[in-house]
Amino acid sequence: MPQKVSIDKSMDLLVPLAKKEGIETPWDRYEKMQPQCGFGELGVCCRICWKGPCRIDPFGKGPDRGICGATADVIVARNFIRMQAAGAAAHSEHGRHIALAMEHLGKHGLEAYSIKDETKLMSIAKTLGLETDGRSTQEIALEVALTSLQDYMNQDSSTGCIWLTKTLPAKRLEKLKSLGVMPHNIDAIITNIMGRTHVGCEADHVNLLMGGMRGALADYTGMVLATELSDAMFGTPQPVVTKANLGVLKENAVNIALHGHNPLLSEVICDMAIKLNDEAIAAGAPEGINVVGVCCTGNEIMLRRGIPLATNYLSQDIALLTGAIDSMVVDVQCIMPSIASVGSCFHTEIITTVPDNKITGARHVEFSEEDALEKAKEIVQLSIEAFKRRDPARVNIPNVKETAIVGFSKESIVAALSKVNAEDPLKPLIDAIVSGDIKGVALFAGCNNTRVKHDDSFMTIVKELLAKNVLVLATGCGAGAFAKNGMMTQEAARKYCGESLLGVLTAVGTAAGLKGPLPPVLHMGSCVDNSRAVQVASALANALDVDLSDLPVVASAPEMMSEKAVSIGSWAVALGFPTHIGIVPQITGAPGVVKVLTEDAKKLFGGYFIPEPDPMAAAGKLYEAIMEKRQGLGI
Amino acid sequence: MSGPNENPIIYADASKCVGCKQCELACSQVHSGYTLTKAKASQYQLVSRIHVVRVDGVNVPMQCRQCEDAPCAHACPTGAIYQDDGIVKINENRCVGCKVCVMACPFGAIEVVKEGIIEDGRTNQGVAKKCNLCAHQIDDEGQFHCGCVEACPTGALSLVTITDYRRRLMLARAREASHPTSIYKG
Repeated sequence: MPQKVSIDKSMDLLVPLAKKEGIETPWDRYEKMQPQCGFGELGVCCRICWKGPCRIDPFGKGPDRGICGATADVIVARNFIRMQAAGAAAHSEHGRHIALAMEHLGKHGLEAYSIKDETKLMSIAKTLGLETDGRSTQEIALEVALTSLQDYMNQDSSTGCIWLTKTLPAKRLEKLKSLGVMPHNIDAIITNIMGRTHVGCEADHVNLLMGGMRGALADYTGMVLATELSDAMFGTPQPVVTKANLGVLKENAVNIALHGHNPLLSEVICDMAIKLNDEAIAAGAPEGINVVGVCCTGNEIMLRRGIPLATNYLSQDIALLTGAIDSMVVDVQCIMPSIASVGSCFHTEIITTVPDNKITGARHVEFSEEDALEKAKEIVQLSIEAFKRRDPARVNIPNVKETAIVGFSKESIVAALSKVNAEDPLKPLIDAIVSGDIKGVALFAGCNNTRVKHDDSFMTIVKELLAKNVLVLATGCGAGAFAKNGMMTQEAARKYCGESLLGVLTAVGTAAGLKGPLPPVLHMGSCVDNSRAVQVASALANALDVDLSDLPVVASAPEMMSEKAVSIGSWAVALGFPTHIGIVPQITGAPGVVKVLTEDAKKLFGGYFIPEPDPMAAAGKLYEAIMEKRQGLGI
Repeated sequence: MSGPNENPIIYADASKCVGCKQCELACSQVHSGYTLTKAKASQYQLVSRIHVVRVDGVNVPMQCRQCEDAPCAHACPTGAIYQDDGIVKINENRCVGCKVCVMACPFGAIEVVKEGIIEDGRTNQGVAKKCNLCAHQIDDEGQFHCGCVEACPTGALSLVTITDYRRRLMLARAREASHPTSIYKG
């Protein structure tokens, strides 16, 4: 374990407090878990059938294949693509949920929901090639929803998924088609991965990995539709100034922490919190209700509503140590079951809401779009009741919060650029890249992981790249790390950006009315919103008439852990981006798999994985990858 | 090559340990006669006498060194710990679980804990537990069959007699000395 577990200053107060209170933190659990099984770390443990578990001897003296005869390459490839499938499943369930809600909205209306951003809905309809003239918003929403749901239903494998084919440049689509990795149906592709990895099926690691790449592209499809439909229903993010880190909790307010991923829940609770504010005041909270975000729900409501972000993934249960969170309301993905036990040490209501995501020890208030208002009211009232039980003597809110300018959707970036050049908004960005004022673009994404110091790798790499004039985008818990640690302020732009990058950020920021530079890290949203970065890259590629893989664009997930991150990293590779991962992936026991993902992928897709746990070395490799792409473009 | 009472030890090659803890699982089963499945089903508390610890990025399996002049044996106030045929043994019937041996052991190799099905009573029935080289499994030819050594999937654990081990070291160093490659030679 690292000497200091986190660079997040809130942890300096709360981790020792946890020790004093005898409450376990993820770092305590990590320490207890040491050493972690080396076979698992190498990926060479196969539990796919009950003849196993089988495992390959990494020293070459014991078994070199499983009982069925599967080699290390086959075992690792199967395990890896099952992770890609699980990641795709998670994102696509999120997308399906939103598409179904939009379908219901279009069919018979939903009390709690509306199309808040009609402009976005029209733009989606145009992207999907749907007729809009003379049709009502509701009719268009219904057709958008039904068209999106086709990506879960199409059985014609010669036709690619609609959202994928309508949002990527033609050159990339041709490439994906020629490699046989074009998904036609998200559900079918996930099923295909589960089927082909069953015992006694596919045993060729290269073909397995290509099947996994198709799964990762199905993941992209689910993500882009989730993001775009959410924008239509809840609004497309615009720049907004807010705060981040646990100092956003208020001693004199009912603090509701919204945690998870899907805006269908969080948006309605935000609305209800405004409505019931007086009830909170009457209950003895002079500042009313203070909604804060955790993890990617935090990012969703931060970008759309300017609601402050309390914390990111790894510090979610420690946030409860503040003793000031009256309820933590969760939906899906990346929710540590430990919040139930830590919550039980305090007055905090831990509330699960999704029928297939319950946690033993938490209260379950089942939420659905149909009775959203009623359930949101119940949840907010439970939070107010919990506030009355709060023990003021146990309140420890760290005095740590940073300003964060966030809200950089593709639309808001183009809008800001259009203030510089209204005719051709992308031109200033393209000119800056061509001239070298901006060397390239790096997208930071992914989670936190106890294997590395919390938030540290993000900060170390980003400072290196900014100094070298690389434009930085961020999503998910990476964006959370940057927001919490002060990388989304104008001061940070002046402090960390190289001269020419600062010049561009200042020109765009000033034109957009910010009276100074844009922040050095542009927060694009939750992890599902990584698709936004692809929209920007696709616009650039189309404007330059090149493929995505020609662009000086790289991705980095320095602290990744989830299967979703495995899937996102994989589609980033499939789209042509050199993709850094800061955690040694569970594939290194299979040299053939390592070669495909880190070398051969470069020839096939133009993108490839760069595993590098050392953040300084990673920064160097990412910059090199950018320079190599520039060389390819002759700029 | 070893004398009748020579003390065999379990040799752990940290460079080969992948941290899978198969040794811990095997140890607890070999000593109890309970499989993992049976133990779970009957709420039998398994106890491993070997523990893999991670320090500075290296996995090190740790267990009793069978010390020749064992501090635990000297410290035990009830005389429950004694050396027998090169193995430091515990007479559990005499052990009261006072933990003096735990404090005396420089390796942290002794644990005081109840192994088995915990019964209600005035005490928690904990007694001192440590590696005894699977003395109950020594075969008719005097060969040792240590659960951990036999279970280790990477060969990180092996049973060595100290004389053999020393002889191997001596031969290796002697071989170096016999070839004049030293920088001190003209």
